[in-house]
Amino acid sequence: MKGFLVGFAALYTGSLTAQTPAERTFSGIVGPALRKQCLGCHGEGQILAKLDLRTREAALRGGSRGPAIVPGKAGESLLIQAIEGKTAFAMPPGGESKRLSAEEIAAFRAWIDGGAPWAESRAESPAWTYSEADVWALRPLRATRSADGATSIDAFVDAKLRERGLSPAPPADRPTLLRRAAFDLTGLPPAPEEIDAFVADRSPSAWEKAVERLLASPRYGERWGRHWLDVVRYADSSGYSNDFERPNAWRYRDYVIRSFNADKPYDRFIREQIAGDELDPSNADAVIATGFLRAGPWEHTAMSVEAVTRQMWLDDATSAVGAAFLGLTVGCARCHDHKFDPIPTKDYYRLQAVFASTEFARPKIPFLAAENVVASAGERKRWQDSIDRTQARLAEFRQTVRVRLAKRRGLASPESIPEAEMQAAMQDTKELEPEEFEEYKLHQKHLQVYRESLTRFDPLAFAVSSGPLDGATDGGPTLKYPKAADYKPAEVRILAGGNLQAPGESVAPGVLSAVTRYSELPAAAIPASVAGRRSALADWIADSRNPLTARVMVNRIWQYHFGAGLTPDPNNLGKTGGKPSHPELLDWLASEFIAGGWSVKSVHRKILLSNAYRRSSSHPEYRKVRDADPSNSLLAYFPPRRAEAEVLRDSVLFVAGELSGESGGPGGYPQINEDVANQPRHAMGSLQPAYRPSPEKRIRNRRAIYAFQQRGLIDPFLDVFNGPNPDFSCARRESSTVATQAFSLMNSEFMHDMAIAFAARVSKESATPAARVRRLFRLAYGRGPTPEEAAGALAHWESMVLWHRQNPPPPKPEPKPVIHTITSELTGERFQFKQWDPPQDYEANLKARDVAPETRALADVALALLNSNEFVYVY
Amino acid sequence: MSARFRIVPATPSRRDFLFGNAMGLGGIALSSLLSADTALAQTHEPGKPHLPAKAKHCIFLLMEGGPSHMDTFDPKPKLGALHMTKFEKARNKFEANMNTGERYYVRSPFEFRRAGKLGIEVNTLLDRFSGVVDDVCFYRGLKAESVNHPTALYHLNCGNQFGGDPATGAWVAYGLGTENRNLPAFVVLPDLAYPQGGAANWGNGFLPAQYQGTPLRPQGSPILDMNPPPGVTPERQSANLKYLQTLNRRHRELHPAHDELAARIESYELAFRMQAEMPAVLDLTREPAATLEMYGIGGADREADAIGRRCLLARRLVEAGVRFVQVIVMGWDSHDYIDKAHGSRLRAIDKPVAGLLADLKRTGLLDETLVVWAGEFGRSPDNGIRRGSTAWGRDHNANAMTVWLAGGGAPRGAIVGATDETGAAAVEVVHPLRDFHVTLLRLLGLDDNRLRYFHAGREKQLSQVGGEAIGQLIA
Repeated sequence: MKGFLVGFAALYTGSLTAQTPAERTFSGIVGPALRKQCLGCHGEGQILAKLDLRTREAALRGGSRGPAIVPGKAGESLLIQAIEGKTAFAMPPGGESKRLSAEEIAAFRAWIDGGAPWAESRAESPAWTYSEADVWALRPLRATRSADGATSIDAFVDAKLRERGLSPAPPADRPTLLRRAAFDLTGLPPAPEEIDAFVADRSPSAWEKAVERLLASPRYGERWGRHWLDVVRYADSSGYSNDFERPNAWRYRDYVIRSFNADKPYDRFIREQIAGDELDPSNADAVIATGFLRAGPWEHTAMSVEAVTRQMWLDDATSAVGAAFLGLTVGCARCHDHKFDPIPTKDYYRLQAVFASTEFARPKIPFLAAENVVASAGERKRWQDSIDRTQARLAEFRQTVRVRLAKRRGLASPESIPEAEMQAAMQDTKELEPEEFEEYKLHQKHLQVYRESLTRFDPLAFAVSSGPLDGATDGGPTLKYPKAADYKPAEVRILAGGNLQAPGESVAPGVLSAVTRYSELPAAAIPASVAGRRSALADWIADSRNPLTARVMVNRIWQYHFGAGLTPDPNNLGKTGGKPSHPELLDWLASEFIAGGWSVKSVHRKILLSNAYRRSSSHPEYRKVRDADPSNSLLAYFPPRRAEAEVLRDSVLFVAGELSGESGGPGGYPQINEDVANQPRHAMGSLQPAYRPSPEKRIRNRRAIYAFQQRGLIDPFLDVFNGPNPDFSCARRESSTVATQAFSLMNSEFMHDMAIAFAARVSKESATPAARVRRLFRLAYGRGPTPEEAAGALAHWESMVLWHRQNPPPPKPEPKPVIHTITSELTGERFQFKQWDPPQDYEANLKARDVAPETRALADVALALLNSNEFVYVY
Repeated sequence: MSARFRIVPATPSRRDFLFGNAMGLGGIALSSLLSADTALAQTHEPGKPHLPAKAKHCIFLLMEGGPSHMDTFDPKPKLGALHMTKFEKARNKFEANMNTGERYYVRSPFEFRRAGKLGIEVNTLLDRFSGVVDDVCFYRGLKAESVNHPTALYHLNCGNQFGGDPATGAWVAYGLGTENRNLPAFVVLPDLAYPQGGAANWGNGFLPAQYQGTPLRPQGSPILDMNPPPGVTPERQSANLKYLQTLNRRHRELHPAHDELAARIESYELAFRMQAEMPAVLDLTREPAATLEMYGIGGADREADAIGRRCLLARRLVEAGVRFVQVIVMGWDSHDYIDKAHGSRLRAIDKPVAGLLADLKRTGLLDETLVVWAGEFGRSPDNGIRRGSTAWGRDHNANAMTVWLAGGGAPRGAIVGATDETGAAAVEVVHPLRDFHVTLLRLLGLDDNRLRYFHAGREKQLSQVGGEAIGQLIA
């Protein structure tokens, strides 16, 4: 950090002459050091020893020990004595490691001796200059050509390879290539017949046709929609205490999938998500799209502070827009000027003010033909049954109390107890035993959850509006949020240190000043009116002159194809996000993206048709390549990678023949680890209902993107394979290898069920042992076995047949009731309740006990294939 | 580390059993496994502490719900005089609904007794615990920031109210590295029900996945899917694994440049070594009866038995080389009837917690094990009118709480800081939570300012913005 400050000062001195030396010292060293080391206790949030160091006036006034600075006299300034450690209160506290460096102390002295001028926020100051290399993404797109004047991906990539003396790997073989593209574009392996057809097609356009076929598949939107949902921190619940469902959020998820499938122009995609309700209020898609703004984690309960909840949402929306569309860590400027990029705190709050007139809305929007609610009829009935059963159970409790009250008061008819008295009696443990009361509370909580869940089948949108929308701002039975009336007129003030209790200067809605400064895009005229703020912001972001928008999106697309972006962090094109490996290529691709009408599919085509994409993942000179380019950023070979969590799960279902093609509609509940499903989870004052997998296979076995995404209950299978944390925008999946993944793939009930299904499938589709083994390999790997592999598989199969003949499978286990255990807040006692909502009409998976020893033994071979590296990695 | 309890690494015969003799990847693959996520150069090198320190392990006893300081370790006689007197708390936009409206003071329903040379007044229900207070450093100056359970829990556990950041245990595991490569470095022993905010309370956040807290579940399989489903005998499992590794070996020969393949092969070895070792660590039946009694295991109090098992398991895990063990005790959120609710909690933790400290001391582990006891906030000296009636309970209070430390370089027998006469606010040696985090790291030899990880454009650390070690909590 110290190195950074010193380097900064050097840079600064070299680039500016308009300021006095003392002013420069303040902007370059003293100001940042004050913000970093002092304001935490002296100005932002707290003002210890009554000393406020936020302004020159306050510093001159000083604190309980007197003035902090005496301009012109560093030696007499208390501040200098404190930072030099010459007083009893050496500053900053925390020992040697927290002290300022000798260079910094010298700068403070020079600054005070120079009159202690207090310059403006450096990021805002027109005199401040950032290094050209650090603001590259804010500069206009350059019309670029590669060194040899050609314009194609390969021209740019090959030029860099030549520069480093590297030759590209040969092209991948056809089966590998199709498998790669199928995983990339649809998230599923290709069927063996599709591979055969592609290998057999010797026409020059074979590859182009294959790419077009994959791009036209409805599976494409499910794959690429998942990428976008990562970026927008999508989930179907609120997180935190109650983690209540957001019953209509799924319509946003389907909107995203539809948009990718339709190749919706990206500029329109942006406008709809930020301001669809304002721009095109009669268009259902446009209104549903604004669910983007509400997708982050937050909730409002009696335990939370209304103003804080609202601020949480404003901060979330501001950061989300910054990360998703602008690729900047705008959120860093919430508490202080951005430390690395030209984003002053003021800009952060200007951007936030755009959303200050935004209210939550739940308007009625009739279901679109594409919205698959019909398939969930069984699920709907399930929720209704849960409600009915819970109500019946609650009625029993009420009857018990009624009878007890009547008995105590000597009334002949329990029905004559007045309703008000009944209500009071149900609030406490006077009539109910503590254990009964806890159970009563549990069912009340569950009723609340089930009722909310049922509204997912109603034609409502999880959306926003500018100002209140008549009859549509209701959050539903349980979802609470701050009411509109408290926030009008919505004034936004700069919050010192991001602290709601330290409001400062009032700001008008606006956009990032640095974009105006460095690019050709003028600042947006954002109206002060309630309506129209978001539209103006959306137009500014979707403007073809915005230097960030197209770069950010093409970089994301590139990353999802090649595993790494042209610039390493797609959510951060600022100084700390790293420099682009191929800046000209990035700009060229971004320009082409805009010129092509913001078509995402056109970018895919350019990439997939390039030689860079079609290279083998094995390089004949891999040692040489590794030495010259350890991270393969120059793309001498195609980087292999582990399938992402959802791709792995969906592919297992797919090869087993169990993947449901049912798409869209409210989230379903896949089979997950039973211990996790039954794990008691707290909700405020009680417990959540247990997780129950969907009884119907066609719902349970849909693609992972259609699973209900509960923030407080992440599917452990997806979690262990680096599934995204929906509390943050996830720009890039990690791909770690940890031991617990082996447990999930080798031991879980899901995997054993799928291995049986896979074995049963190939047994049905092929007749002879050799043909069955071949089919197994073809489905799992996209290729047949070598003779050696076939022999190995047959040998393992045969030995396992012997084992299975001697070891009959375990019988069907008795259905176990789910026991909830809760510690009462009232008494501290532990109570147990049976989950009395047993699974009904559960369409069971095929089990070992249902099949012959030969199939069970083939399932052992199948399980090994599904665990193997060749299945898990994409080449 | 007492060698007596040390879990020995898997023997060659164990490896034979799982994979046959042909597996020769061993150490090389492991190193790449452990560095699988270091795509970006990081300032901290895992496993390299920054400062000399006594503590090498930490057992964090998390009292979920917010235990009341004035009913446990910080009695307030003044509340006796104020009992049931009303006052009006103004509606303030920074107060939760819960904390506003008509309120009244509540005296403690408990009795207190001076304990140890320290002479600290301790709730009489903490009878065994009174015998170990001279090993404990009580701290009454800590302040939280949120009065809402999930955000306060995230703040205490992960340093940030908004969740999703690495838990303290993940930072410690990242800082100190692992001591036993067959076990996770950060283990969580949750109650039956997960706390509000769920597993994010022990998440790895942006740190590599191997630093994630591994919950050992009190019911069902301790680690998810650690054991194969019914019908899979060791013989069958072994045959399938051998076949799997045959497939993987051949595949690796075709892709010599792809290092991750070796790491993934090794991960299967590691998993099944863990599968082989974990049952021995979890097996409490070989502990002497006197030890079980110390922890309250097998006694009449079912709650004490359950907590005692987690505390004893924590000791065994620390012995086996686990860096950070978090024991979660639920149920301290006593808004009503605090006599009953806190009473049952206190009775339930007395033997387990006192037993843990005594046992650690007996085995010599206390010197190198830091024990922390804390809830997410303290409680208020007053209560609100709810449902039209008054009940003797307390609401949430972020301005005062009592936490304590024992062993691992913390002072033996001390009271640090103080609250005001009603316990409403800390007034002496007052520090924000981030300073407490810095102090915990310091006691474990880690400097918060150096224990950083580059993520989302900046270097991040547990304290978020840096903090100050609380000198009085370091011996």
